[in-house]
Amino acid sequence: MPAVTETYSLGESIEIGKIDKKLKKLWQEREGVMTRASLINLAVYSEQPGSLEKNTQLIARITENHACRALVIGANRKSKENRVEAWINAHCHVTRAGNKQICSEQLSFSLEGPCVKLLPSIVFSHLDSDLPLYLWWQDDFPDEMDPQLWAWVDRLIFDSQTWNNFGAQMRLVETAQQEAKQRIVLCDLNWTRLDKVRHAMAQFFDHPASHHHFSKIENLKIDYALGFKSTALLFLGWLSAQLNWKLNEPARNGSCRFVDANNHKIDIELHQRGGGPIGDVILNSQGVKFRVAPAQCGDLLEISRSSENETVLPQMMPAQSNNPVDLITQELLRGGPHRVYLHAVNCVRELL
Amino acid sequence: MNRAADQSQVNPLREGLSTRAVPQPCSIVIFGATGDLTHRKLLPALYNLAADGELPPAVNVIGFARREKSDDDFRKEMEEATRKFSRQTVRDEIWKTFGQSIFYQQSDFSDEAGFKSLAQRLDKIDKERGTRGNRLFYFAVAPDQFEPILKHLKAVGLNQACEGSWARVIIEKPFGSDLASARELNRVVSNSFSEEQTYRIDHFLGKETAQNILVLRFANAIFEPLWNTRYIDHVQITAAETLGVEGRAGYYEGAGALRDMVQNHLLQLLCLVAMEAPSDLTADSIRGEKVKVVRCLRRIAADEVASNVVRGQYAEGAINGQSVPGYRSEKNVDPKSMTDTFVALRLNLDNWRWWDVPIYMRVGKRLPKSGTEISIHFKKAPFVLFNKETNESNVLVIRIQPDEGISLRMQAKMPGTSFRIEPVKMDFHYGTSFGKASPEAYERLLLDAMSGDATLFARRDEVEEAWAFIDVIENAWSAKKNAPDLFFYPAGSWGPEEADELLARDGRAWRRF
Repeated sequence: MPAVTETYSLGESIEIGKIDKKLKKLWQEREGVMTRASLINLAVYSEQPGSLEKNTQLIARITENHACRALVIGANRKSKENRVEAWINAHCHVTRAGNKQICSEQLSFSLEGPCVKLLPSIVFSHLDSDLPLYLWWQDDFPDEMDPQLWAWVDRLIFDSQTWNNFGAQMRLVETAQQEAKQRIVLCDLNWTRLDKVRHAMAQFFDHPASHHHFSKIENLKIDYALGFKSTALLFLGWLSAQLNWKLNEPARNGSCRFVDANNHKIDIELHQRGGGPIGDVILNSQGVKFRVAPAQCGDLLEISRSSENETVLPQMMPAQSNNPVDLITQELLRGGPHRVYLHAVNCVRELL
Repeated sequence: MNRAADQSQVNPLREGLSTRAVPQPCSIVIFGATGDLTHRKLLPALYNLAADGELPPAVNVIGFARREKSDDDFRKEMEEATRKFSRQTVRDEIWKTFGQSIFYQQSDFSDEAGFKSLAQRLDKIDKERGTRGNRLFYFAVAPDQFEPILKHLKAVGLNQACEGSWARVIIEKPFGSDLASARELNRVVSNSFSEEQTYRIDHFLGKETAQNILVLRFANAIFEPLWNTRYIDHVQITAAETLGVEGRAGYYEGAGALRDMVQNHLLQLLCLVAMEAPSDLTADSIRGEKVKVVRCLRRIAADEVASNVVRGQYAEGAINGQSVPGYRSEKNVDPKSMTDTFVALRLNLDNWRWWDVPIYMRVGKRLPKSGTEISIHFKKAPFVLFNKETNESNVLVIRIQPDEGISLRMQAKMPGTSFRIEPVKMDFHYGTSFGKASPEAYERLLLDAMSGDATLFARRDEVEEAWAFIDVIENAWSAKKNAPDLFFYPAGSWGPEEADELLARDGRAWRRF
């Protein structure tokens, strides 16, 4: 859906108490020309300077595929001023059929100083009723989080790749999950980043005739880019969780050793290289090499299975873009619980 | 909708992934590879599956047709067609590997030597590309070609797979032209392939909205309690086309709307709307429930056809302001043709759920709008309070195509101090709510056939039961004495007036489309 009336601006400044009234007026004026659509409440929280403008651009693109009510919140805890500002805007796109403009609302809030604590109240007051709340938390989680918020969140989106202290942050996330009165699904964009690589690796083993390789895996090599070691470790965690591997020898110069349920050893090598977040992934089992690698064009993966006795049939598959819009779009398409993610984290928690 | 999986066969790396397991490597042999279906639908569908990462690398496409051409010629032809008809832009990087999996086998369908060469070639490809002896034969040819192809496939042993492999056949409609020919066709197919190996494709079932009927009914608790004779007044199914016979007169003259659309597409939709909840999502559970619906269809006696079925043929008229000729003036159509281009039917299902709930179907060419919709018309609220002034009932509409979605009409109070009531519509559009494009029906169905999931394919008994029902009507129409009239309607109208009378007699009217 190409944007047609996209301005990427925060829109009209408005008194916070008049938002509902103004929204109603906005849609009355546009009735017949535009259709308001919303499947979720997507709240985006950031404390980075300039985040409101940056996130407005992201929301404009995300709403091309996911109609939602977006609540974009920019906060500055350190400010001495105590100020709340609000804006409303709509992102409109022409449908694939080209006959309608579908619009998603964006409510933006700037919170400064002590009023940052008003976050739950602002979110609760402006939710589109009966629709799930997805909260995209773009910063590290603070030590003290308002537990009220968790009671309303259905899916908590974050990116563990940006965390400096994975263990501490994960504990906060898990506490939030426990405090919530309802199930919160943890959606780590660092995990979403692995979606296509996991799919590419999994497809080698869809045929039961390949399953015997699971117990014969000798080693695994993963290349990753600077800053994406946690991504590579999550991939390792995924294989460990699904294939019942356990850490045997801790990490040393990028290598470590796992053992499977039969005490069979699997050597792991992680190498930092240039390129995208995850580079070559090679799994060797009984003389068969399963390889997933980024193709030269950048947005495809080249996958191949090779051995001395087999003809190599390379295949191209879609790669996961590292762009935040694509990551969020992919994550919003998934739905369902992320049990496998938590298992993967548990398997490599010591290494993260 | 696969059978509950044997845990030892399950790939643990698939857990939690949003994509389905890729099918086993296989060779897909397309008979009629130079035809329109292959160009417009099959190759683009296979390319899209490959581009989305839904296929294993070892999937080969072998075109089998009469015309002389090399693998490279065929690849070029398929690349052009895919670039023209694919829903995704063709990427050179993907085509480079996908194109190498395409081959061409020249042979006449009646030449056994051609099939021997095919068998040898498939064995060679198995060895070179690791396809493990799995074969899917796609019959994109006219039904009169089925028998020689099937006979030769059997003669060279291609109907049987070696141990641990599979051989399947996909058959395109029409599955016969009446019960006798359908049985004969099934007999011919079953001489070479068992029912478990046979996949009868009805592309309507591959559409997202057709599959969503089951989700709407059985995943939402609010509808199912109302889905019966106590609350539903009647059901309407409409499949309308603005197009005329176009270039299909040769086929259409012998088929007509009843055979072309009602016997397969519309009865399949009816089955999804009227079936009981299956015990699980296996292919046979779902198809078992569907076939019960067709068996419950009250057979129309020959002397009741005229009062329950209206046949029509379009005459000269205008569509969207453009003059169009009548059917009898179309190229390759008999000027005295009695072929039905429009059918309206009043059906009944003899079971507890649907007792006394008429099902009205209409299908036609050269109607004012194109689209396929199912509408469930609920009974009116009791004639008290507000309903003295209003005559409307609740209507749930399932739009199959285009603009797929669901709407619900209900009554609402008009603003003001008095109780004035008007109908309002709640509307859900797939295109508005979900930005992601749905895969084409052929993509889903090809993938299902490769994966051995027959849920969305018609079973032999479904097809034969449907023909048994249709035959009575066709026989009455072709009777020498007292055959019901063929009514003419101007192109651009909603069919002959008699179709309106079919409902008017019951105190009902066609829904405004």
